[in-house]
Amino acid sequence: MKLDPSRGPIYLQLAQEITRWIARGDLQPGDRLPPVRELAKRFRVNPNTVVQVYGELERQGITHTQRGRGTFVREDVEVAALRRALLQEAAASFLEEARALGLTLEEAMAALQEVVHARPTEGDR
Amino acid sequence: MLAQLRGIVKTYGAVEALRGVDLELRPGEIVGLLGPNGSGKTTLLKVIAGLLLPDRGGVTVLGGSPRRCRGAVAYLPELPYLPGWMRTAQVETLFRRIFPGFRVDSFRELIGVLRVPDRPVRGLSKGERGRLELAAILALNAKLYLLDEPLGGLDPVSRDRILQSVIAAWHKEAGFVIATHLVAEAEPLFDRVVFLREGKVVLDAPAEELREKGKSVRDVYLEVFGDVGLPVA
Repeated sequence: MKLDPSRGPIYLQLAQEITRWIARGDLQPGDRLPPVRELAKRFRVNPNTVVQVYGELERQGITHTQRGRGTFVREDVEVAALRRALLQEAAASFLEEARALGLTLEEAMAALQEVVHARPTEGDR
Repeated sequence: MLAQLRGIVKTYGAVEALRGVDLELRPGEIVGLLGPNGSGKTTLLKVIAGLLLPDRGGVTVLGGSPRRCRGAVAYLPELPYLPGWMRTAQVETLFRRIFPGFRVDSFRELIGVLRVPDRPVRGLSKGERGRLELAAILALNAKLYLLDEPLGGLDPVSRDRILQSVIAAWHKEAGFVIATHLVAEAEPLFDRVVFLREGKVVLDAPAEELREKGKSVRDVYLEVFGDVGLPVA
């Protein structure tokens, strides 16, 4: 993932990226998140920003922090709900693009169908 | 508070390099000191480092005069400072001798992070030399790190490793000021950005606050300095 500083605060972009890791199963409930400095190094961002990211994820009920032990994905995190939320966001921007192009919902759905048929293996997954 | 500057004025002959600068530096913060060439960045860093005395205004660094806390302030000059015959090991010996708190472990780790080959300085590329000089400065046991254009004129790989090394050296008790005109590349590293224009602070704001309003630091930089007509990377 590439951060885009002109698309809002970096901490929100990074929080969303970590949510995506959980939604994809790269991070499982109970897993420990990387230490602050490690994540900061990986994305070349300020370590204070990563602290803010972990705070935001905790506020959203996705992670919890144990003093001295680190930040963990909550055992009771609803992965399916995270997946749905991320997909809805993608759907919203898809729809926005269709509207900006002056297309109807039906035309947008047809375009989605065409993509599915053009790339069947990915569509079936 | 690590440093406090009030109404700093510095002139060189008829040239006013700093025209009333106020600035505060806090522990744990990485501050981007941004502005085109000639805006006063180097002069300001030298005043904080105690290498230049301001004509007017007050500077307090670590509760005292900047000249009295040189060991606790690490300053990376913009121009090369190591002699050509030195190798990594000799840089280590020199810094250990001059600076009692020099952290050898950090230095060796940084040499690794920055991939500095073990050759005399004169046999290093510009990027390698810059990385070695930075490693030595970041390994000082300082409270305040002042880096003057650490990314300037270096290749993309060097610049990327330098960003990583600053994160490796960062800790909650120390403050960093990074003067650069390579805004786009360094902006995710900054807690706060200070724009210097013709010797005056024209903006001092948390970087995320600017992005909250939908603008990157680079976008705001172009708005403020667009008329100066200098390239932004």
